Amino acid sequence: MALTLLRQLALATTLLTTAVIADVREYNFTVGWVDRNPDGFHERRVMGINGQWPIPTIFATVGDQVVVNLKNELGDRPCSLHFHGLYMNGTTHMDGVAQSTQCPIPANSSFTYSFNVTQPGTYWYHSHVDGQYPDGLRGPLIVHDPENPYADQYDEELVVTLSDWYHDEMPGLISSFLSVTNPTGAEPVPDSALMNDTQNLKIPVQPNKTYFIRVVNMAAFAAQYFWIEDHSFRIIELDGIYHKPTEASMIYVTAAQRYGILLTTKNDTDKNFPIVGSMDQDLFDAVPDGLNPNVTSYLMYNSAAPFPNATILEDAFEPLDDATLEPTDELALYEDPAISYTIDVKMDNLGDGANYAFFNDVTFVRPKVPTLYTVLTSGDLATDATIYGVNTHPLVLSHNQVVEIVLNNHDPGKHPFHLHGHAFQVLTRGDDDSGDWDVEAFRNGSVKYPTTPMRRDTLLVRPNGHFVIRFRSDNPGVWLFHCHIEWHVDSGLILTFIEAPLQLQQQLGGENGIPEDHFDACRAQDMPFQGNAAGNTVDLLDTTGFNVSPALLPDGFTPRGIVALTFSIVAGLLGVGVIVWYGLGEISTIEQQKEQQKINTFAKETGVVEVTGVDAAPAGHAVAGREKDVGYTAANEVK
Amino acid sequence: MVNVFAVPVFFIVFRETIETVIIVSILLSFLKQQLGPDRDPNVYKKLRKQVWFGTLLGLGICLIIGCGLIGAFYGLGTDKWAGAEYIWEGVFAILASVVITIMGAALLRVSKLQEKWRLKLAKALEAKDNAHGKFGHRMKAWGEKYAMFILPFITVLREGLEAVVFIGGISLGLPASSIPLAAICGLAGGALIGFIIYKAGNTAPLQMFLIASTCFLYLVAAGLFSRAIWYLEQNSWNKATGGDAAENGSGPGSYDIRKSVWHVNCCNPEFNGGGGWGIFNAILGWQNSATYGSVISYNIYWIVVITGFVLLRFKEKRGRWPFMKAKPTAASVDENAKSNDGSSDNSLSASKEVGRVGVRSGSDISQA
Repeated sequence: MALTLLRQLALATTLLTTAVIADVREYNFTVGWVDRNPDGFHERRVMGINGQWPIPTIFATVGDQVVVNLKNELGDRPCSLHFHGLYMNGTTHMDGVAQSTQCPIPANSSFTYSFNVTQPGTYWYHSHVDGQYPDGLRGPLIVHDPENPYADQYDEELVVTLSDWYHDEMPGLISSFLSVTNPTGAEPVPDSALMNDTQNLKIPVQPNKTYFIRVVNMAAFAAQYFWIEDHSFRIIELDGIYHKPTEASMIYVTAAQRYGILLTTKNDTDKNFPIVGSMDQDLFDAVPDGLNPNVTSYLMYNSAAPFPNATILEDAFEPLDDATLEPTDELALYEDPAISYTIDVKMDNLGDGANYAFFNDVTFVRPKVPTLYTVLTSGDLATDATIYGVNTHPLVLSHNQVVEIVLNNHDPGKHPFHLHGHAFQVLTRGDDDSGDWDVEAFRNGSVKYPTTPMRRDTLLVRPNGHFVIRFRSDNPGVWLFHCHIEWHVDSGLILTFIEAPLQLQQQLGGENGIPEDHFDACRAQDMPFQGNAAGNTVDLLDTTGFNVSPALLPDGFTPRGIVALTFSIVAGLLGVGVIVWYGLGEISTIEQQKEQQKINTFAKETGVVEVTGVDAAPAGHAVAGREKDVGYTAANEVK
Repeated sequence: MVNVFAVPVFFIVFRETIETVIIVSILLSFLKQQLGPDRDPNVYKKLRKQVWFGTLLGLGICLIIGCGLIGAFYGLGTDKWAGAEYIWEGVFAILASVVITIMGAALLRVSKLQEKWRLKLAKALEAKDNAHGKFGHRMKAWGEKYAMFILPFITVLREGLEAVVFIGGISLGLPASSIPLAAICGLAGGALIGFIIYKAGNTAPLQMFLIASTCFLYLVAAGLFSRAIWYLEQNSWNKATGGDAAENGSGPGSYDIRKSVWHVNCCNPEFNGGGGWGIFNAILGWQNSATYGSVISYNIYWIVVITGFVLLRFKEKRGRWPFMKAKPTAASVDENAKSNDGSSDNSLSASKEVGRVGVRSGSDISQA
């Protein structure tokens, strides 16, 4: 483990110091199961590459072409690779999203990803099939920059990955999460936190040097607070975008976010210092007993010195607010948007009783035909959102426009939202419980947009808060916008931007467009790859066969309920009627006598027979006194 | 207002008290009318004592258990009770439902006997020695002898503990000062209603009172039976979802959609005291989230009760069960009765006897 890391570090260092020219970086990845026990509590099978886990880091330099020859030898699962944060301009079909930009790669087949890397920074790659990557198929992707403006400020480079970790495999966890017996949508809580896919890793450092640490959170779910005891650092990169160095002592890294920080080591080597990651337990529905939300590694100045336990913070976390940062390139705020989407996030239950996540009352359901293939086979209809199916939540964008997303979080949870194909400008972000964005706040000047807004590709929205972001639709493609909590990916917190579909048809529609192995993947699984979302090729506007979400919950009294309530009321009234009828009826002589005999026998047994003599007189008197009435009534009845 | 009077607490106590006082006041009223202080003061007093003893013992026990639970609740910070609450509710509701049903039929039937036979029966039951015989027989005899104790005891135990636990759960978020007044008002309100039932029962014509109160008891019992099934289902739902679904309010997730017959996101009798819906639930078994189990059990209960009364009535009229031959013992019964008892009843002819008893029961009032 440590060896692998060190090798990676060494490689990174070598690459950095070598003069790099545009190159082809070819990786042959065979994906298969390996057994690992990264937290020391539980061995399980994980998705490895070439028998390794942690899986290899992909390294490239700006301008390189990356080729990944992938072989799926998982045996029982399809997979794919998404290169998180890369714009993939011109190669949206290499974005790796199953049912959006490709068919999943079936077991026992091969698939080649090939794309140009045009952007520097810290990225990662992971499977994008069914929330699958937490089973292990996720690793860093580092793009070195010959023109790094901060190159002269650091000596060495390190990659620190954060992650949550589950002892169980995703398919089982997903089915219990998306279940009628989990009506509140409580997400499975991780079993451990990992750093560089292990715990208590000792990272050797030299005194008085500056390290560029690339922090990547590859978690399924948990954001982590990250700090290094007795050290502060300067943030210079957010999700691949250089930002002006900003001093911080703690950062909050959501799932899928990356931070590039410069850490200058101390002058002396007496002590070693814990590097701490602490999972944000606010995310967890219930914190199980015995969960250790923290993970520690060490800045090892001196292997002979002690490795002290980290000081655990309970809730006094004070991370830097990333929205306050300013990009180094000073890219100005985009002009007023050509189109602005207001998207409300909520969680609710559908008719199958499970809890789903919604953007504007639509929960995502995968189309039968990957959306990209629908774009490419629909001609002029490609601009008509109907053909992509309501539940892919398609938003069709024109080319080269400024697009604004106003996201209002109607859920009391934190969500990291990620946009494929773009980094976006963050105009404003509300605090906890700040409610919906009100554009009046901007108009009347109480909220000001920054002139050079922070940019990144994954942004946290706070509980019952909001954010406003903008991007330019300069990248034709099919790009998802989704919550990067994998549970919410599974419960449908996804929408699909279909960006400049007509330009996309020109880019990829021809013979040299999509490679044949992409279609082979579909054929191998009998998945359609032409026509609208349901594979209808004759009439694309024919929506029959579209995948749709479960029906809404029945509201109040359905006919079934009315019938049941009516029957119950009738039964009750009838029962009361029968009781009245019975109560009014009289006992016949025969029964009366039987009853008397029984009582006598009983009375004898208990020895109270003698007493009857005493009672007989008043009782007899009463009877005699009423003889007249009785006779009258009886006579009436005879008539 | 909130600081001195917690409305949910009032409703909980009021609801549970009402359910209890209905039973207790009907029993007391029944005893007074049937046995009366002026007929057999000895047996009357003894049976009345049973009712009060059952009530107070139930109250005492549930106070002790409840205090322990609430102590643990605050002391340990965990709701140890929550896991078993619905099972307790369900089992006791079934028990109460069955006991009320049997008692209701017995009371109604006993009232059809002539007064002196009733007294004799009461005396015999009261004097019964239950130390001998087989275990089953002894249990039955014990149950018969102490029926007037068992019913209120079970009722109070169930309702009282329910009240304590609900209040315990709810009061965590309330100032302690807001609980006593609300609880006392709830108790007083319930007791007042019980007193009214008792008074009304004593002044109404006996037959009318008996029929009306039996109807009332059976409505309560039907509701209890339905709720019992509902509680047990809710228990397994809570187990499946790993929490108390009632804490989720009335909305989606508070119920199992697979078993739902109807569900309205309001009118929840369990949530936050339940208000008027809680009382509706206590008396008639209302559920805002009805399940197949709760609806079917409610209807089955009534089908069984209706069938039972029709059969009883058939036997009363014909002296035999349907599809069975009458036992040829009528004559010997008559002989037996004559030899044991020389009262005027036996001299009445059979034709006169028909249609008499009900009327007589009704006219007993004039004497009482």
